[in-house]
Amino acid sequence: MSATRSDNAVDTGKSGARQGSSGSTGSRSSGSGSAGIPAPLRRQQTIAAWVLALPFMALFLVFTLGPVLASLAMSFTDIRRSDVRTPFAVGFVGVDNYLSLLGDSLFQKVMLNTGLYVVLGVPLTMVVALAAAVGLNRVARFKGLFRVGYYLPVVTSIVAVSVVWKFLLRTNGGLVNTALGGLGLPEPAWLDSTSLALPSLVIMAAWRNLGTLMVIFLAGLQTIPTEVNEAAEVDGASPWQRFRSITVPMMKPTLLFGAVITSIGYLQFFEEAFVMTDGGPLDATRSVTFFTYDQFGFGNYGTAAAASYLLFLAVVVLTLVQFKIFGEKD
Amino acid sequence: MMRTPTSPRRVSRGAVAALAVASLTLTGCGREAASTGDGPGQGEAVSDGAATGTIDVWAMGTEGELLQDFVADFEKDNPDADVKVTAVPWDAAHSKISNAIAAGETPDVSLIGTTWMGEFAEAGGLDPTPKDLVSEADFFDGAWGSTVVGDTSYGIPWYVETRVLYYRADLAKKAGWDKAPETWDELKQFATDLEKKAGAKYGLNLQPGQTGSWQTVLPFAWSAGAEVTNGDGTEYTLDSPEMTETLDYYKSFFDEGLSPTRVLDPGELETGFADGSYGAFISGPWHTGLVEDAGVKPDQYAVAPLPGKDEAPGTSFVGGGDLAVFADSDNKESAWKLVQWLGEPDVQSQWYDTVGDLPAVRSAWDTGKLASDEQLGVFGTQLETTEAPPAVPSWEEVAAVVDSDVEKAVKGAMPVDEAVKDMQSQANSIGTGLQ
Repeated sequence: MSATRSDNAVDTGKSGARQGSSGSTGSRSSGSGSAGIPAPLRRQQTIAAWVLALPFMALFLVFTLGPVLASLAMSFTDIRRSDVRTPFAVGFVGVDNYLSLLGDSLFQKVMLNTGLYVVLGVPLTMVVALAAAVGLNRVARFKGLFRVGYYLPVVTSIVAVSVVWKFLLRTNGGLVNTALGGLGLPEPAWLDSTSLALPSLVIMAAWRNLGTLMVIFLAGLQTIPTEVNEAAEVDGASPWQRFRSITVPMMKPTLLFGAVITSIGYLQFFEEAFVMTDGGPLDATRSVTFFTYDQFGFGNYGTAAAASYLLFLAVVVLTLVQFKIFGEKD
Repeated sequence: MMRTPTSPRRVSRGAVAALAVASLTLTGCGREAASTGDGPGQGEAVSDGAATGTIDVWAMGTEGELLQDFVADFEKDNPDADVKVTAVPWDAAHSKISNAIAAGETPDVSLIGTTWMGEFAEAGGLDPTPKDLVSEADFFDGAWGSTVVGDTSYGIPWYVETRVLYYRADLAKKAGWDKAPETWDELKQFATDLEKKAGAKYGLNLQPGQTGSWQTVLPFAWSAGAEVTNGDGTEYTLDSPEMTETLDYYKSFFDEGLSPTRVLDPGELETGFADGSYGAFISGPWHTGLVEDAGVKPDQYAVAPLPGKDEAPGTSFVGGGDLAVFADSDNKESAWKLVQWLGEPDVQSQWYDTVGDLPAVRSAWDTGKLASDEQLGVFGTQLETTEAPPAVPSWEEVAAVVDSDVEKAVKGAMPVDEAVKDMQSQANSIGTGLQ
C-alpha cells in the first residue's frame, strides 16, 4: 500500500502528491495507478456527506457538546441561581470550586460513601453474577425461566424496587425483621443504622443488577470452546482448577467489560438512597450524585458543576485502572 | 517531529497567552460591584378603576384546580378582564417559575411557596407590592413576614398553615392531664406521663433531624427568643445561647426515650397515634384528616397551641402560599387588582369554604365555621404567634445544614454547642444572599 502511494506521488508529480495522499484507498480498490474517483465527483460526495451529517452535527453541538462545555465553564465560575437572568455577569473563580469541594467535610464523606459503595458493590455483584452464569450454563431445563427471573429486577423501575425494599427492610413490621424475629434473631434497624444502611443498599443493588452481568457472562461462557475443558478434564483437572485456569482467563475481556459498566453505574448511585434513606442516617448513604443534586437544588450551579466533573474524573480514573488490571496480556 | 530547545517554552508561552485571554474575557463579563443600600422600595400605588385585559395566573395543587371557577366573581366585577388560571403541579412549580423568570416568559400572577420568596425576589423576578394595595395590619404578622425580602414586600399572603400540638386526649386524661401543657417544663412532664402513666411507647414524637426537621426545631428556638437572621436579613445569627438551650431541650426528649430516634415511615405516625404508641406530635392542619382516617375518633384527640418556654405563648412555624406579581408582567396594574381582590376578607372566607385553605387575613376568621369550630380556633390562636423562616435566597441550603446538625446533636454524634457553632460557620460561608 505504501509502495503504491509513493509510486503515485512520483508519477504524477506535484498534483499527484495531493491525490496520492487522499486516494490511497481508491488506488487499492481500483487496482489501477489512478486516484480512482474523479475529483468533481469526490467533492460532490463530500458535500453530500456534510449535508447528511449536518442535522446530527447541529443537534449534537446544540444539545450535547454545547451544554457539556457550558457546564465545564460554569464549574470555574461562582454562578448561582440568582444569576440565571444574566448568566455572563458572574465571577471567574478558577479552581476555587474544586478546592473548596475537596476541603468540604460533607463532600469528603460522600466521596467515601460512593467509594465504599463501589468497592463493596462491584465485586459482590460480579461474583454473584458469575456464579449465576456458571450455574445457569449447566442447567438444561427451565433455562429461560431462570434467566427471566434473574433479569426481571433489571427491567423493573429502580424507584419501584427501592420502595419495595424499603418496606422489606422496615424496622417495624418489615418482612425481613419479621422473619428474623420469628427465628428468635435480633431485628436490626437496617436503614436507620449508620453502619448497616449503606451495606443494605449495596445488597439491594447487587440483587438488582446481577441480571445484566449474568446475561453478559453467559454470552462470554458460550465462547469458551468445550474442547479445552474436555482436554483439561481428561488430564485430571478438578472443576475448581478448570474454573480458575480456563474459565476465568478466557472470560477476561468479558469480566473487564462487566467491571467497567458496573463501576460506572455504581459511582453514580442516587435513586436508591433518595427513595430509601434520604441520604441518612447522619449522611451515611449520601452519594456524590446526591450531593450534586442537592447543590443544584440550592442553586449553587458552579459548585454542582464542579462536583459532577470530579465524579466524571473518578469514572475515568477507575476505568483506566480496571483496564490496567484486567486488560494486561498474559 | 522536530524538537528544538525552544519549543517547550513556546508551547507554555502560548498556553499562558490562551489562559490570559480566557481569563480576561471571563473577567470582562464578571460581576458588577455589589449594589448596596436599601431595596427598591414599594411600587407605585395602583390606579382606581376596573382591571382590564388578560391576567395569566399560575396556581398549584387544589388551588390551581379550583381557582378558575372561583374568579368568576372577579370577572363579573371587571367585565374587561379575563383571568386565565393554569394549574401547575407542586413538584414542578419551583423549577417552572425559576425557568420562567430566567427566560422572562412569566405569567402575570403566581402562587408562590413562602420559602421561595427570597430567592425569586432576589433574582429580580417579582414586582414590589404597590403602596396602599392592602393594609399590612390586616394579615397575621408571621404570614406577612414571609413576603418581606430585605425591607421590601413582594406580594401578599394568600393562605396560611401553622403547626400545633396534637395529643391523645383520652390518654392525657388517664395520665392525669385535663388541659394541654403550656410551658416547656409542662410539655416534658406531659410526655413523660403519657409514657409512664398512660402506656404510650413514646410520649411525644419529634423528628430526629433529616429533611424538614427545622420546621419542628425552629418553633422551639423562636419561643426561646432565638433569631435566625439579623433584622435586615444580611447575616445568619444561628449561634446564640437561646439556640443552644433549645437544642439541649430538644435533644433531651431523645435522650430520655420520649421520642423515637429514627425517622418514621410514612403512615407509621398516624397508625401509632391511633393505637396509642405515640402520645403526641407536632404538625399542621392536614393531620386532623390523616389521624381520623387512621381510626382516631374526634373525641379521642385534641389540638393545642404550642407551649411557650415560660408563661408566654409558644411561637410556631407559619407556612402557606403568597401571591406575587412578576416584574416581567405586561399587565401589572390589573394583576395587582386581582391579588388585592383575593386578599379581601370576605373573599378569603369564601376561599376557605371552597378549598379549606386557612385565611391569611385576620378578619376572615370572624365569621362562619372559622369562628365557631373549636379545633380551627386553636389554629387561629396559634397564628397570632408565629414566625416565617427568613425570606432570604439561601434559606433552603441553610435549612439543610440545620437539619443535618440537629441530627448530629440528637444522635450524639456531635455535642450540642458544637452543632450550633457548626450551623453558624456553615451558614456564614453560605451567606444569606442579600447585601
